[in-house]
Amino acid sequence: MEILNYTEDHLKFRERVRTFFEKEVTPHVDEWEKSGITPKSIWKRMGQEGFLCTSVPKEYGGLGADFLYSLIVSEELIHTRHTGLAAPLHSDVVVPYIISFGSEELKRKYLPPCVSGDMISAIAMTEPNAGSDLASIQTTAVEDGNDVVINGEKTFISNGINCELLIIVARDPSTSDAYSGMDLYVVEAGTKGFEKSKKLSKMGWHSQDTAELTFTDCRIPKGNRLGYKGGGFLMLMEKLQQERLMVCIGAVAGAERMLRDTLRFCGEKMDFGKPVTKLHNNRFKIVEMAAEVRLGRVFLDKLVADHMEGKSIVVDVSMGKFWTTEMAMRVADQCLELHGSYGYCEDNAMARAWRDMRVLAIFAGTNEIMKGIAVKFMGL
Amino acid sequence: MDFNLNKEQADIQKAAREFAAGEFDPDRILEWDRHQEFPVSIWKKACALGFQGVHFPETYGGQGLELLDHALIIEAFCRQDSGIGMAMALSDFGAEMVLAHGTEEQKRQVLPFLAQGKGWLTLAFLEEGYDLSTFQTVSHKNGNGYRIHGKKSYVTLAGTAQYAVVACQAESADRAGQSVFLLTMDVKGIERESMGEKLGMRMIPMQRVSFNGVVVAGKDLLGQEGKGSSYLNEFLNTARVEAGAAGVGIAQGAFDRALDYAKKREQFGKAIVTLDPIKNKLADMLARVETARWMVCRAATSLDQKKSEDRWTLLAKMIASKAALEVASDAIQIHGGYGYMTEGQVEHFYRDARALDLFMESGSIEKSMLGDQIAGRGA
Repeated sequence: MEILNYTEDHLKFRERVRTFFEKEVTPHVDEWEKSGITPKSIWKRMGQEGFLCTSVPKEYGGLGADFLYSLIVSEELIHTRHTGLAAPLHSDVVVPYIISFGSEELKRKYLPPCVSGDMISAIAMTEPNAGSDLASIQTTAVEDGNDVVINGEKTFISNGINCELLIIVARDPSTSDAYSGMDLYVVEAGTKGFEKSKKLSKMGWHSQDTAELTFTDCRIPKGNRLGYKGGGFLMLMEKLQQERLMVCIGAVAGAERMLRDTLRFCGEKMDFGKPVTKLHNNRFKIVEMAAEVRLGRVFLDKLVADHMEGKSIVVDVSMGKFWTTEMAMRVADQCLELHGSYGYCEDNAMARAWRDMRVLAIFAGTNEIMKGIAVKFMGL
Repeated sequence: MDFNLNKEQADIQKAAREFAAGEFDPDRILEWDRHQEFPVSIWKKACALGFQGVHFPETYGGQGLELLDHALIIEAFCRQDSGIGMAMALSDFGAEMVLAHGTEEQKRQVLPFLAQGKGWLTLAFLEEGYDLSTFQTVSHKNGNGYRIHGKKSYVTLAGTAQYAVVACQAESADRAGQSVFLLTMDVKGIERESMGEKLGMRMIPMQRVSFNGVVVAGKDLLGQEGKGSSYLNEFLNTARVEAGAAGVGIAQGAFDRALDYAKKREQFGKAIVTLDPIKNKLADMLARVETARWMVCRAATSLDQKKSEDRWTLLAKMIASKAALEVASDAIQIHGGYGYMTEGQVEHFYRDARALDLFMESGSIEKSMLGDQIAGRGA
C-alpha cells in the first residue's frame, strides 16, 4: 500500500517539471552560484509553465492543485543540485499567507503575478536581535489614517533582493502583549522607505539572494494587512507547519540525491585496488545511510499524507524537521568523506551539497526550537 | 606523569597566542579565504619571530625544540584562525622528512631557508586516492641520476614553493620500492594545473603537478633508494600530530567564539548561554576539545621520546579532526543564522575542519588502519 497516491496527472506533471529543470535550470546553476542570485527570467519561465504557486485557486490564475504538486516541484528542484532558486519558498511558504489570509482585493492584485512569476515573494520575520525568539521582534507598524508606517530592520531574508513582494512581520507598539500585537503586512518592493540594504555572503546557498532589509518610515495602505488586527502570531503558527514540511522535503530528497550521486561516483573511483564503495568500513556506512534515508522518506511521505488530510502535524513536523535535517547533514558529511580528498574540491557537486545542507538545521526554526515545541506538546 | 606544560612550553604557547591575536586581521582573513591566497605577510612575520621550524635543530635555523612545541604553535595559530594556522603549518610540508633523511648539504640548503621565511617546501605524495602503497609516479634510473614521470595531486603551494619532496615508485633493474627526491621546482619538465576552488583550507592553494621526464641527479635522492615507503610512514606520524594540533586549535577557536556569542546573544529575555540546550552543547563541545588536546599531546610526546607508535598518531589525527568538525558545526548552530554567514567566522572554521579531515588521509582510512593494527596485521 502506497502512502502517497500519485495519479497519472501527477506523474505527467513530474515528468514535465523534471525535463524543464534539466533543460532550463541545471545548465545554469554554476553561473548562478557565481553571481549570487537567480535571474528573474527563470522565475517567469517557471510561471509560464505553471510550476509556480500550484496551490493558488483557479480563479486567481493558479492550478488549484493539491499539495503533491508542491512536493513534486520541490523534489525535482533538488535534482538540479543547487538550492538558490527558492521557488518552494515563494510558492508554498509565502504565497499561502495571501491565499489564506489576504483580503479579496489583495488576492486579486497579487496572486496572479505570483503565479506567473512576474512577482517573486519573500517573508521577513527574523531581525538582528530576534531569531528564535520571534515574539521579541522590534519592527513596528503604526497606523496613521489610512496608512500604516513601518520601521525596523530584517535579516537573513531569502529572496530578499529578487522579491517584488514581501510579507513583513511587525508589531503594534501600542499593544504591550508581544503575541497579540503582531501583524503581517504585504509590502511591494519599490515602496518608499523599503530598502534592500545588503546581500549577505554565506557558507552555502550561493545562488540564493539572502538579504538584509531596512524599513524607514515605509508607508503602505492599511488594507495591506493580512487577516484581522493582532492575528499575526497565530497566522505564523499555522503556516510555519507547511514551511517546516518544505524543509523536511528538501532534507529527505537532498539526502536521496547525495547518496545516489555518491554511490555512482564512489562505485567507479578506485582506491587501494578496489572501488571505494567496496572498501574497508565503507560498505556498512553506505548501508547505514541508505537505511536512514529510507526511514526519512517513509516518515516524510506520512507527514505529507497527514498534512493533505488536514490533520494537525505540529509535533510530527517539528520532530521531522530536526530529524530529517540532521540526517541530511550526516549523509552529506559521510558522502563527502567517501569522496576522499576530492571531496573538498568545489568542482564536485558534493562539496556544494555539504555547504548547502548545513543551514537546514537553522532556518525555519532552529532544531533546538523544534525540540522545544515537541517538549511542550509532550508535556515534559 | 605530568600533565602540565613546562615553563618553556607555556611561554611558547603564550607568545604564539599573543602573536596570532595581534596580527591576524579578521578583514584580511575574509579576503585571503575568499581569494584562495596564502597569507604571505603573516608568514613572513611568523618566520621573523622564530615561530616556524622551532623543532629544527639550531644549526638548521630552528630552535632545537620538540614536536610538542611546534604543535602548541600550530594549535594557537589555528585557534585564532583556522585558515592562517593551517597555511603556516603546511608552508614547509615535508620538512621533517628532509630533517630525518637529508644529507648535511640538503639540510643546510633547505631547512634554514624555510625557517627564515625565504620560501616554501611542498610534499608531492598523494595521487588520486589515499593508497600510498603503489604510486603511478615512477623514477627510472638514468645514468648517475633519475628521470621522473607521473602526476601528483593535492600538492600544497605547488605554484610558489621553491623545493619539493617527491615520492615515487622506484623502477630500476635491481630494486622495486619507493624513492623520495628533494628537488627544486624550477627544473625542466614540471607542469602545474590548478585544482580549482576548494571547500576549505583555501589559504593553502593546491595544484596537480605533472613530472614529464624530470631529470634529477643522484644527490637529489632523499635518504636511500627504495626506502621511501618507510620514510613516508614515519613522516605521516609527524604530520598527523601537526594535523591533530590544527584540529585542536580549530575546535578550541570555534568553542571560544560560540561561548563568547552565547554570552552576548540575548533571546527570551536572557543570554542564551543560560539556556539548557546551549549549555549542554557547550559541555559536549568542551569534552571534544579537551579529549582531542590530550590525545595530540600524547602522540607528540611519544614521538619526542622517539617511541614511534602509529597508534597514538592515528588516534590523535582521527579524534582531533573529528572534534574540529563537530565542535565547529555546533558553534555554527549556537550562532544560528549568523553562524551560516561568512562574517560570522565559524563557517570558515567548519569548512577548514572538513578539509583537514580529508587532506592526507581521511578519518575513515585512519579508522581502518587502526583496526588493522589492533587485529595485528597491516601497517
